[in-house]
Amino acid sequence: MKVAISSSGTTLQSNVDPRFGRCPYYIIYDTETDNFEHAENKSSQAMGGAGIQTGQLIEKYGAKAVITGNVGPNAFRVLSSASIKVYSGVSGKVNDAIKKLKEGKLTETSAPDVGSHFGMGQK
Amino acid sequence: MIISVASGKGGTGKTTVATALALSVGYCQFMDYDVEAPNSSFFLKPYIKHTQKVTIKQPYFLTETGEDFSKCAEFCNYNALAVLKDDVIFFPELCHGCGGCMLVGPDGAVREKDVEVGEVKKGVTSPNIDYYMGDLKPGSMRTVSVQSALDKAIIPRELVIIDCPPGTSCPMVFSVKDCDYCILVTEPTPYGLNDLKLSIDVLEKMGKPFGVVINRDGIGDDEVEKYCIKNGVKILAKIPNDKEIAKYYSIGESLVEYDKNWKQKFENILKEIEKDLVV
Repeated sequence: MKVAISSSGTTLQSNVDPRFGRCPYYIIYDTETDNFEHAENKSSQAMGGAGIQTGQLIEKYGAKAVITGNVGPNAFRVLSSASIKVYSGVSGKVNDAIKKLKEGKLTETSAPDVGSHFGMGQK
Repeated sequence: MIISVASGKGGTGKTTVATALALSVGYCQFMDYDVEAPNSSFFLKPYIKHTQKVTIKQPYFLTETGEDFSKCAEFCNYNALAVLKDDVIFFPELCHGCGGCMLVGPDGAVREKDVEVGEVKKGVTSPNIDYYMGDLKPGSMRTVSVQSALDKAIIPRELVIIDCPPGTSCPMVFSVKDCDYCILVTEPTPYGLNDLKLSIDVLEKMGKPFGVVINRDGIGDDEVEKYCIKNGVKILAKIPNDKEIAKYYSIGESLVEYDKNWKQKFENILKEIEKDLVV
C-alpha cells in the first residue's frame, strides 16, 4: 500500500510537516516494496484551497493513506471522498512515522483537527 | 466629489465621522460599503424605498454525464473544484464566478446558475440625503460582489460620502478606489497608529490624497499626532473621548445633531478637503 507523508524535506530522515495542504513535500512510501519517491507540493503557496488541491495530488499518486500533523475541513472532505485514510497528529521523523504505521500504533482520524487556513503564514 | 471614510483598525469611528459629515452638509449621496456589517442606518435612519437582490453566477457540474472535469479543476485559480476518480466536489465559497470552468470544461456539462449573495437598499433621509447600503448574506464570502452593485448606483452629484469597511484588504480597496479624497479615522493608541500606517501605505500606492481624524482623543498617547506632524499628514479634526458623545452614540444620535458646534466643525472639514483638492 502506498502512504503519503507530509514532509519538510525529501528523505526519510526529514521531519513530518504539521500542515497537510501547505507542506513543501510529500514522501510517497510503498509499505510492500519499501520504495519511496518524493513529490513537490505546489499548493503550499496557494491563495486558498490548498488542502483541496493537495487532496487530489495524493489520490493521483495512488496513496491509500496520509500521515500528517494537521488536516483542515476542505482537505478532510476531499480525502474522505477519495477513501484515503487520514492519520493526523503525527510528528517526528518520516521513517519513525512509517514504522509506527506498520506496527499499528497510529490512530486513524475521523474529522479535521484544525480550521481553515491553519497552515497559512507559517514558514 | 467622492469622499471615502476609512480606517486601518476597526471600531475607530468611521461611521461616526461619515454620518456626521453627511448630516452637517445635509445634501449628499451616502453609501454604506461596509456590506458585511452595515451600521450607518442607525444614525441616518433612512426610509428605505427599494431593495434589490445581488446575485452572482456559479457553475454546477453535470457529473451524471460521466464526463471528465479535470481541465476545470486544473484551470481553477481558486481551487474551488476537486476532481477525484469517483467524485467531483465543488466548493462554492471558493468560487469567484470567473466562468473559466465553463470555457475549458466538456461542452454542455458545466452550466451556470444565479446565486444570491446579498442585497442593495436605496432610500432617503433628512435633510436631503440619498441613502444606499449593501448587505451581504450571512455565510457568503462575496463582499466585493455586493459592493459592485453599489458602485453602479453612484451618481456623481455634488457630494458622495462612502462609509468604508475597516482594514486594508479587497473590500476597503474597492471602497476607496474611486474616491477623490480619503478621510482616515484612527484612535490615539499603538494599534491605532500601527493600522493607520498600513492604510496610509495603501492610499499612497493608490495615489489618493488623504487626511486624518483622531477619534476618542485622550484614551492613549500622542504618538499618532506626532507621526502625522512628522510625516506631513494633515489632521482634519480631533474628537475627544467624551461621555456625552458616547451617550448619544449609544442611542443612535450623531454628535452633530445635539451640538451645533460639531456641525460647524464637520462643515469646516469639508471646506478643508475642498481646499486641499484645489491645490
